[in-house]
Amino acid sequence: MTAAVEFQRVSRHFGPASAPVKAVDGVDLTIAEGSFFAMLGPSGSGKTTCLRLISGFEKPTGGTIRIFGQDVSDIPPNRRNVNTVFQDYALFPHMNVRDNVGYGLMVKGVDRRTREARAEEMLSLVKLDGYGDRKPAQLSGGQRQRVALARALVNEPKVLLLDEPLGALDLKLREAMQDELKTLQARLGITFVFVTHDQGEALSMADSLAVFNEGRIAQIGTPAEVYSRPRTRFVADFVGSSNVLPPEVTRAFGGPAKWSSLRPEMLRLTAPDGVALSGTVTGLRYLGAGSRVTVALNGTEVAAQLPAGQPVPEQGATVGLAFDPAALHVMEGEG
Amino acid sequence: MTNRSVKIAATSALALITGLGPAAAQMTEVGAGEGALSIVAWAGYIERGETDPAFDWVTKFEEASGCKVSVKTANTSDEMVALMNEGGFDLVTASGDASLRLIAGGRVQEINKDLIPSWSTIDPRLQDAPWHTVDGKHYGVPYMWGPNVLMYNTEVFKEPPTSWNVVFEEMTLSDGQSNKGRVQAYDGPIHVADAAQYLMFHKPELGITSPYELNEDQYKAALDLLRGQRELVSRYWHDAFIQIDDFKNEGVVASGSWPFQVNLLKAGGAPVASTIPQEGATGWADTTMLHVDSEHPNCAYMWFEHQLASNLQSDLSVWFGANPSVPAACTDGRGMQTAEGCTANGLDDFDKIRFWTTPVADCSQGEDTCVPYYRWVSDYIGVIGGR
Amino acid sequence: MTTPAILPERGLADRLTALFWRHPRLLLAVLLTPPLLWLGVVYLGSLAALLLQSFYSIDEFSGMVKEEFTLKTYAELFRAQNLDIILRTLLMSAAVTLGCALIAFPIAYYAARFARGKWKAVFYLGVMLPLWSSYLVKVYAWKLILAKEGIITWAAEGVGLSMILNAILAIPGIGGNSLSTSPLGTFIVFVYVWLPYMILPMQASLERVPTSMLEASADLGASRAQTFRTVILPLAMPGVIAGSIFTFSLTMGDYIIPQIVGTSARFIGLAVYQLQGTAGNIPLAAAFAVVPIVIMLVYLTIAKRKGAFDAL
Repeated sequence: MTAAVEFQRVSRHFGPASAPVKAVDGVDLTIAEGSFFAMLGPSGSGKTTCLRLISGFEKPTGGTIRIFGQDVSDIPPNRRNVNTVFQDYALFPHMNVRDNVGYGLMVKGVDRRTREARAEEMLSLVKLDGYGDRKPAQLSGGQRQRVALARALVNEPKVLLLDEPLGALDLKLREAMQDELKTLQARLGITFVFVTHDQGEALSMADSLAVFNEGRIAQIGTPAEVYSRPRTRFVADFVGSSNVLPPEVTRAFGGPAKWSSLRPEMLRLTAPDGVALSGTVTGLRYLGAGSRVTVALNGTEVAAQLPAGQPVPEQGATVGLAFDPAALHVMEGEG
Repeated sequence: MTNRSVKIAATSALALITGLGPAAAQMTEVGAGEGALSIVAWAGYIERGETDPAFDWVTKFEEASGCKVSVKTANTSDEMVALMNEGGFDLVTASGDASLRLIAGGRVQEINKDLIPSWSTIDPRLQDAPWHTVDGKHYGVPYMWGPNVLMYNTEVFKEPPTSWNVVFEEMTLSDGQSNKGRVQAYDGPIHVADAAQYLMFHKPELGITSPYELNEDQYKAALDLLRGQRELVSRYWHDAFIQIDDFKNEGVVASGSWPFQVNLLKAGGAPVASTIPQEGATGWADTTMLHVDSEHPNCAYMWFEHQLASNLQSDLSVWFGANPSVPAACTDGRGMQTAEGCTANGLDDFDKIRFWTTPVADCSQGEDTCVPYYRWVSDYIGVIGGR
Repeated sequence: MTTPAILPERGLADRLTALFWRHPRLLLAVLLTPPLLWLGVVYLGSLAALLLQSFYSIDEFSGMVKEEFTLKTYAELFRAQNLDIILRTLLMSAAVTLGCALIAFPIAYYAARFARGKWKAVFYLGVMLPLWSSYLVKVYAWKLILAKEGIITWAAEGVGLSMILNAILAIPGIGGNSLSTSPLGTFIVFVYVWLPYMILPMQASLERVPTSMLEASADLGASRAQTFRTVILPLAMPGVIAGSIFTFSLTMGDYIIPQIVGTSARFIGLAVYQLQGTAGNIPLAAAFAVVPIVIMLVYLTIAKRKGAFDAL
């Protein structure tokens, strides 16, 4: 299988060479063809810059970028067969929806009839039949998002880039769009690369994902791998909140003297008698689908997530903690 | 003093009003001053040393008469007439076009020249001039006059040009180059009169008797001459200082002009001189007139006498580059003016000068036979526009 | 002691605040009445008076204004020399607007897209600086620069480009004896004087075009030229139109520059000035003054039809 996108030691530094700001710092990355790839990370971690390096809006200061095997280092954005759904959608306000969608064909010199037919097809694909004559200002946020999608897909790109595509939508709509994007990607078979700071979104949508931190990739893998076996404290904490245990606590929990991660939902509360681990409840948070209980053991606070329906202890009560030893994950990335 | 430009250009078709209004009874004696005097004047006409300390002819008058002088500057003849119609002023320094309108409108009163001891010193050629004398009655005291001279570059013209043809017809000048693009003409409809005056001399068969009274044929001939001139003129002048600049920087070597510019250019060392060619010249003459409802007539009469003082006339003529209405001012040495200065300003050319009056339809050629001024205005616009 | 639920009134300011809070429209009325009165009475009133004057005529014999309705004065506009003036003014205004737009665009684009911090301040200073000095001073300065014996001629001789200058001046219609006495000179000075009025609105409108819009265009395959034509220009159009309204109407109304630089051929502003000031032909002056208003209305209508305001 060809790699859709390949980064080799790619860097993007800003500012003076003496004291550069390293937005992207020596990233190696391979995105498989046909995959739904997520770039996850907090703001300023370099994920968006990586996306812009693929589209060509940024030029790398070092390394090589290949798209389907071809070096694109010297190719301007308009000649890369890669299209982007922008975070603010960037719809052209002076054109109606049909012209927006047909724009990519227009600049290629496709005649009006063909491109309008194609635009209608694309609108149909994103379930916006009959919206062609409207102006972007007359659409809701979700509709604009779809127009942006249709506009990016009209060119049949080799790779579709999505920059925080759902960030501006409210929760309900976001969930619906997540499903739709997933379905669409499966149907079209195009490689999707999307940038998000929302770990839930990345986990639920991506085939594989890269977690970015400070211009580097902290971990790359399938969502399950990244979630259950974080390599570093940063990944463990950023991808779903985890109990990050220092070496001595890991030991107390029955593991080696190394940094480890223990997911709150893997912890159960028991009676305090006759168990190895017990502590005092210091915090209670009701989450709807369950409750989160903070327990203090010998100065270390550990969170446990209880499913709904389970009895919740009172603040200050003494409780015991139990877990499957396999759930205690030792992080290799932390020496 | 750039207002001079506006002034000469300024007129109004309202000047065409004819017939006399009732004149107030004229003064019979000059009593004590009323303590104040207000004058509507052209800029630079009533100087109290504020522009240049050397030129002050107000302060001493105020001390001697006790009349505090206030000056309202007007920019056009229209404005002067409007201010006088409004009232509240005593005197006005009116040009030839405004003066007759003021007399016709009954806004100024007859002058008793017996109350002005120096009246007899006035240039006899001005004493009964038609722009302030109607039916033998005097309506003002002559203040100053000047010709529109031909200014030329002395390096190009070794001898003074003898004819206005240097600005009207294409020719090769003594430096071997054409006059095309190197001459100017006045940017005001009054310039039609200059053309008519030129034709009066060179085409007697047209029968022009006055450049301000042109029938259709004569008028057409004048316009044709001006159309030819358009080919020679790269820019028309209307502002004295722009013309001065054009003689310095734009390569202009000949143009109709005023002594004012000639004097300023000479003072700046530029190689220019002026002449009144054989065809004669047009010119302007201003008169101080007294409002019919003046509240300070005694002060006004004192001013009349004062304005004829030869030292004032002398300084005024130097200041403005014009001619005093009292010829003694040129020679008696009481002011800055000299006989040579007066000659340069055109004192000896009075007879060659046809003073500006507003063209009206009813003229000496008959009723409704002459082309009135409003057509001069629109047609001259066409000529300058290349039509 | 407990704090009262209602705080004591502190005097006039509080009473007014309460009044305006209870009657929100009152504040609006207080704020808007003076400017609306000004606009209505002084501006629209004088415009109406002007319009009225243009339907009067001047009596050909006495030169007096006849206060009777007639279209004769408007018919006079169609006399050859008056049509010349209108056409000349129109051409000059269009040329000046185009010239300003062409020069202003790169400057405005730079300022909107690239200038930051200190350079932005330098930009504003550079654009505004010419507006600080007197208009007349600038025009006179240009007269000297363009004069036959002025800086440009001198510089052209110095670098051996006199031939080119003379060739340009020999072009009929735009050339002349020197730059200062040619229509080209008038054009140059107009462009210089009105340029800031084009740059500033253009810059403001370009600044409002998001970068992502340009990236989207390139992303979809558009070349720079296509992006300019299909995205930047339409989106900046309100600014260009606003700027062109300034340059177009300012050129049409100006009566100083053509007096000082150029061939002395009349423009509308100069004709109005002369007709009302020295010829006393107020009806014709009024009719002339109506021409730019009509032209601007036509211009705005066309601009609207062409979709110039769609991006507003």
